[in-house]
Order: sequence, then C-alpha cells, then structure tokens
Amino acid sequence: MSRFFRHLLRNPLSGVGIALVGLHLVVALAAPWLIPHDPYQLKDLPFAPPDTTYLLGTDEIGRDFLSRVLIGGRSCLLVALVSGALAALGGGLLGLFAAYRGGLWDEVISRVVEMKIAIPSILFVSLFVTGFGQSVVVLVLVIMLIKMMGVIRTARAQGLVLMSQGFIIAAKLRGESASRIIVREMLPNILDLLGVEFALRTSSALLLVSTLSFLGLGLSPPTPDWGLMVHDGLQSIRSQPWLILVPAGCITSLVVGINFATEGVVDAFGMEYARGVAGH
Amino acid sequence: MECFEHAKSNMLRALLRRVALSLLTLVMLATFVFLATEVLPGDALDVTLSADEMSAMPPQRLAAMKTELGLDRPVAVRLGEFLWGLAHFDLGRTLISKVAVSQIIAYPMRNSLLLAATTLLFALPLAVFLGVCAAYAHRRSTDKWVSTLSLIGYSVPEFVTGTFLVMWLAVSWAWFPATITADTRATAMTLLQASPLVVLTLLIGSIAYLTRLLRVGMVDALSSDFVERLRLTGIPEWRIVWRHALPAAAIPTLSAMALYAAALVSGIVVVELVFSYPGVGQELVRAISKREVHVIQAIAITSAAIVVAMNFLADIAILALDPRTRQP
Repeated sequence: MSRFFRHLLRNPLSGVGIALVGLHLVVALAAPWLIPHDPYQLKDLPFAPPDTTYLLGTDEIGRDFLSRVLIGGRSCLLVALVSGALAALGGGLLGLFAAYRGGLWDEVISRVVEMKIAIPSILFVSLFVTGFGQSVVVLVLVIMLIKMMGVIRTARAQGLVLMSQGFIIAAKLRGESASRIIVREMLPNILDLLGVEFALRTSSALLLVSTLSFLGLGLSPPTPDWGLMVHDGLQSIRSQPWLILVPAGCITSLVVGINFATEGVVDAFGMEYARGVAGH
Repeated sequence: MECFEHAKSNMLRALLRRVALSLLTLVMLATFVFLATEVLPGDALDVTLSADEMSAMPPQRLAAMKTELGLDRPVAVRLGEFLWGLAHFDLGRTLISKVAVSQIIAYPMRNSLLLAATTLLFALPLAVFLGVCAAYAHRRSTDKWVSTLSLIGYSVPEFVTGTFLVMWLAVSWAWFPATITADTRATAMTLLQASPLVVLTLLIGSIAYLTRLLRVGMVDALSSDFVERLRLTGIPEWRIVWRHALPAAAIPTLSAMALYAAALVSGIVVVELVFSYPGVGQELVRAISKREVHVIQAIAITSAAIVVAMNFLADIAILALDPRTRQP
C-alpha cells in the first residue's frame, strides 16, 4: 500500500489532480455555509461590477455571482456522481452477465451496446428530452444509459478472462446459481476495474451535464450551474468576461482534476488498461 | 495459389459479416429512435403538442387529429411504415406544417459534414505525428508534454474551448469574427472562410483524443517482439516506425472509430451553437424548441448512420491491416 502511495505521489500531475478534486468536493459539500449571499435572490443592479459586498459582482439579473459559482458545482456533481456510480455498477453486472451466459444473450447485449455507441450522446439526450421532458431524474437515467455502454464492454472482456479460471469452473460444478456466481465470485474480481470506470465515467458525465446545461438541455434555470452560467455570460462577453471565465475555469479544473487523478491511480496500480481510451 | 484463394474467401466472408452487422445496427437504431420518441412517451402528436395545448383541446378533436395522422393504428404498423420509409430514404414530413424533413435538414447536414471533413483532414495527420513522437519518446519529456497536454485538451468541454477562443481571438484581438453570419445555403468556400475558429475548436478536442489513442497503440507496437526482430535484421529505424509499427498501432485507434465519430458529432452540435454556425446543431435546438419530433428523429438517425458507416470503413481497414481478424 505504501508503495502505491509513493508511486502515486512521485507523479506530480496526479497530486495536482487529487488536490483539485479534493478542493472541489470540499467546496461543494460546504457551499451552503460558504456562500456570502442567497444565490437565488436579486441583490443589486444587473451586471454590477465587483466590490467589497459582492466580490465577483452580480450576474445578468442582479444575483450575487460568487455565491452562484460556489454552489454551482453541486447539482452537476451530484448528477454526474449518481449516474457514474449507476453506470459502473449496472454496466459491470450486465457485462459479467453477457460473459457468463454467452451465446444469444451475449450477442444481444453486444449489439445493443454497438447501436447505442453509434448515437452521439447529445442526440441521444435530445431524443429523451423530447419524449419525456426535462427533469433531473430523466437526466440521471439517460446519462447512466450513455455511460454504461463502455463499462459493459470492459466488464464483458474481463468477465471472459475470468470464465476460464478454476474458481469459476469450481463454483459452476458446485451447482451455484448464475446470479450468485456473478455477484459473489466474479464481481469482487473486477472491483478495481469498476472503480477506475466509475472515475472515468463520472468525469465524462460531468462534461456531458455541463455541455447539456450550456445547450439548454440539462439542468434548468434558476438552478445555479456552471454550464448555464457560461451560456448566460455570453451576452456580456465584452464587458464582464469573468462571468464566463470563472464558471468555465471551475468546470474545466474539476474535469482535468478527475482525469489527472485517475490516470495517476491507474499508473500506480500498474494497470495498463484504459490509458486514455475512455469515451466521451 | 490455393492458400491465396482460401484467404480471399475468408476476407469476403468477414466483409459480408460486417455488412450484415452494420445493417442490423441501422435497423435497431431506427427502431430504438422510434420507440424512444413515439411509443414510450405516447405518440408523435403527444410529443409535438405541449401540455397546455393538450389540455386546451377537446378530446374529440384530438382523436380526430390522431385518426387523420394515422396515429390510432397499432404500434407495429406504424413502426413498419417508419422503417419502410427509411429504407427508401424517406424521412417523412413534419406533423403540423407538412414540410419534407429531408428538405429541412439537407443544407444543415451538408454544412456540418463540411466541418467534420475539415476537422478530420487536419486532425488525423497531426494526431498521427504527435502520437508517434510521444510513443517514440516513451516516458521521456516529449512524451510527458504530449500526454499531459492531450489529457487537458481532452478534458476541456468544447463549449469552454470555443468560448475561450472567441474571447481571446475575436473579442480581445479582433482577428476573427465572433459569430458566423453566413447563410445556411452559402457555398462551402464561404462557410469555411467564415469559420476558422469553429474548426480550431473542433481540432483541439479531436487531436487530443486521437493522439492519446494512437500513442497507446504505438507504445505497445514499439515494445512488441516483432519490432525487436525487425531491429535485429537491421532495417532502418524510420522504416520500422512508419512502415511496420504504425499499421499495427492504427488498429486500436480504428476500433475506437465509432466512439470518436459519435464524439465528433456531439462536439459539432455544441460548437455550432457557440458560433451560430448554420448546421445540424442549430437545427436540432430549433427543432427541440418547436417540438418537431420528426426533425429530431431524422437528425439522430442520419448522424448515427454516418457513425455506423465510419465504423464500417474502420472495420474494413482493420481487416486489411490485421490478417488475424480475417480468420473465420
């Protein structure tokens, strides 16, 4: 374990990544106590310049911008974490199931994965938003579906490796049920893999959520959200560029942080797997 | 000679298998799109009308409209009709205004394809060059720089890259126009001249993504036994890298082609909105706000079909590069 940490710390970028992720998590958790003003309330004139009361000034309708930035990571982080976790777990189980059953089940699951991968994420979300309307639940489920496909592929490949190993053959001969073998015997063996998948999927889910909010397909106003703030800031790009720069910097540093941290962990584990081959 | 014939028939069989799988994927795609938009949430009219319009309309009138539009028929019949239309390249008409969908999306589609082609044209050679350089300098400083920068380039959302470029090159320096005023039907040349920043934004993400893929493949290829053996035979190093290792390294990159193509389409949609480029991205957002369900379906299916086609071409390239995949 100590060798693992030494290896992790030797790579300065993974240190930077872990620090960034830690900082973002602390701010997101502590945001309700950190914010100086109510992020939903109109406080001053629109586009007020920064002063001692409103450190970053006010936004396009006069709300305290600093408070909105501090709290703006919570909703997209929550959506990304929940859909990333569901995707890693669901994708892991489905991939193992495909590997265990083989034959027709495997074929069907692989075809569905291939079909989904062909539909660009933003269009996939558009289809569901048109059909089911825009809500956080729809958003989480759709992003989970999108991010699950890559996990199914990885878990299936790993599951096929496990299938030929002694302990699985022994469990089969003992007459254990399929669900028991998948959950008790196979799943624990791919937990490290699923951990990495969870991190990668969460970071790409964050990219997707903020992009969707930017397009007006994700979280809807008045929820403070970095993607939405960048979009709203475009109208004052010349006079108040910080209304764009601050939220854009927040979302970027968070995603870069997760990816640096994940790459450091993958390297430290000596996992050659998935270096940079994560789908958007 | 007999052996050659055998190899040829294997190649043919593998090729036919890819064709059949691509067609199957397309049918599944269309079925999925239909189910997601016209069956699960109700029918096409339910999706097109907003909740207010729905409640304001007397039930008899709604029922009459559904009969008139043929929406009261069973799901299987409507799905069959939908697929049959697609098989004839008929994307249908909008529900209310009765305009042919193909007519609505033709120009935006062309404009977006123009962006995609230009991006690929520049991104592929640059990514190959950077990926090979990084892999050749494995774990030395060139590699670290390329890997770190490409990880950052891959982590920054396109709307942020695009907005930064606008702020920096269009607002602060005024070198380029911030938004594009070219018409949807403008010539390809006019559009490209107006959109250097659009292409630049797409290039940053694409180069980062492809470089990472290619670097991984190249590192593996360069450390493999066959490269070691080639080195021992005294073949010049540049020839080993470009002629022998690169084709092997291209295989993992090509197998991720579907993922990349889909990401590129998503990127194009976003970047078009940042710069008001007249392509499918703009059209998509307009269709969503107007709830024109058939336009959204058509954009999704056409884009996905392009992704499937690119994946198919990548699969054929893999068949040509890697004899092992030709085994039955």
